[in-house]
Amino acid sequence: MTDNNPSPEKTIFPFAEALVPVLAFGGTLAGVALHNAGILFEIQYAAIGGLFASCLLAYLAWTRLHKDIVALSTPIYGIIFFVTPIEYTAGVVLQLVYAAGLTILAARLRYRFGPGIAGGSSTKELPPGPLRDYVESSGGAFEGLFSVIGHDAALAFFRFSEGEYQAAAELAHAASCRSGTPEHVVRAFSVIRQHAELLDKNLPRPLTYLTFLPADAPVMAKPLPGPGDPDHEFGTMMDNALLLLFSAAWHASPEDRPSLLSLQQFARKLLEA
Amino acid sequence: MKIGSVDVRISILPIAAFIVFTSGFIIAAFFGPPEMADDVRKSLIWIIPALFLLLIIPAILNYMSRSQYADLEPEYEMKAKTVRVRLINESMIGKIVRIVGVVEQARYQFINRPQFTVADRSGSISVKMFTTPADDVKVNDIVEVYGQVIRRYIVTGEPVINCVIIRKTEQNG
Repeated sequence: MTDNNPSPEKTIFPFAEALVPVLAFGGTLAGVALHNAGILFEIQYAAIGGLFASCLLAYLAWTRLHKDIVALSTPIYGIIFFVTPIEYTAGVVLQLVYAAGLTILAARLRYRFGPGIAGGSSTKELPPGPLRDYVESSGGAFEGLFSVIGHDAALAFFRFSEGEYQAAAELAHAASCRSGTPEHVVRAFSVIRQHAELLDKNLPRPLTYLTFLPADAPVMAKPLPGPGDPDHEFGTMMDNALLLLFSAAWHASPEDRPSLLSLQQFARKLLEA
Repeated sequence: MKIGSVDVRISILPIAAFIVFTSGFIIAAFFGPPEMADDVRKSLIWIIPALFLLLIIPAILNYMSRSQYADLEPEYEMKAKTVRVRLINESMIGKIVRIVGVVEQARYQFINRPQFTVADRSGSISVKMFTTPADDVKVNDIVEVYGQVIRRYIVTGEPVINCVIIRKTEQNG
């Protein structure tokens, strides 16, 4: 998880995107050269480069959190171009247009769908980004936290994310009463309990509500807003409480990490909102 | 057009197809070359019903889908849990939810497959529907939405709402 030891995926990914145009254009240009040399008789087989490029593009699209259906479907065309006999000039033009299209899609994937996720869906670590930064920076606050409390935090986070607000409130209440729970974690459980109860009954923000203390600021994922906007403050309290529980669960209950990873998108949404 | 309790709406696309083909046949029958005009006139016995089928088939399909949705409405109203838009996430896939918000975008209504972007104070979400809504929903309408959380592309993509009911509650301005 440390930056000193980058995973293989982290070093391959930037090159993989650049490889798409290289394969697509390179395949056709190599095909043209081989055809002129009399080695390749059918220009359709020069589309192999485009086919590999489209498969690579589809793989890169698959590893994104947001899937690009256009990029995912490009190998279909790659296969069609590879298996369909075509006249030389039309074949070359078609393959070059296809290569240009793949290049545009690779650039679009990079800039519109964000950087790739190291290791895709099978990763066991949080991908680099604000969520991992927060979880790592707040780790010290959960040193020595009992794993049972970490598991409680994970369960409260799971139930809340599933919209099971009553169950989340009950879990949070039980966890906040458990002996040995640090004060800031108790406050997070209490905030979650209050929000879950209100959401369960579809009630609006009360005039007075639970907040974190100024001393909790170092473990807050989002800065606490100043006075004057209670709705914003109320929402930020909930986000901070959920993210604090996410981090507590991550550090104290390693067996819950796979489930937490499956909900990282929700946690990221809370953090970036 | 109301059939029973179902308000059947034909989208603009079949109507446009009906107008285009009808105009084509009228031009061919009355202003085309004599041989072609003769052929068209002789074939009117099947051309006219076929033209009306361009309207009748979409109307039947719309009636069927609208009545199916109408049957689902009580179940969704009973089971739905009111949620904030921002709290909708992958682990809610399959859950029946209710959201209240303002319509920010309304697209594809002309093909009877409307897609709305509905926002509340916490965020916005895509609301997909596979038939015409009972209400004529427009941008800036305040609506309540009942539907199931699904992925945008069934097996992948971000969570969206597969809408069964979208109902105006009040309108801005």
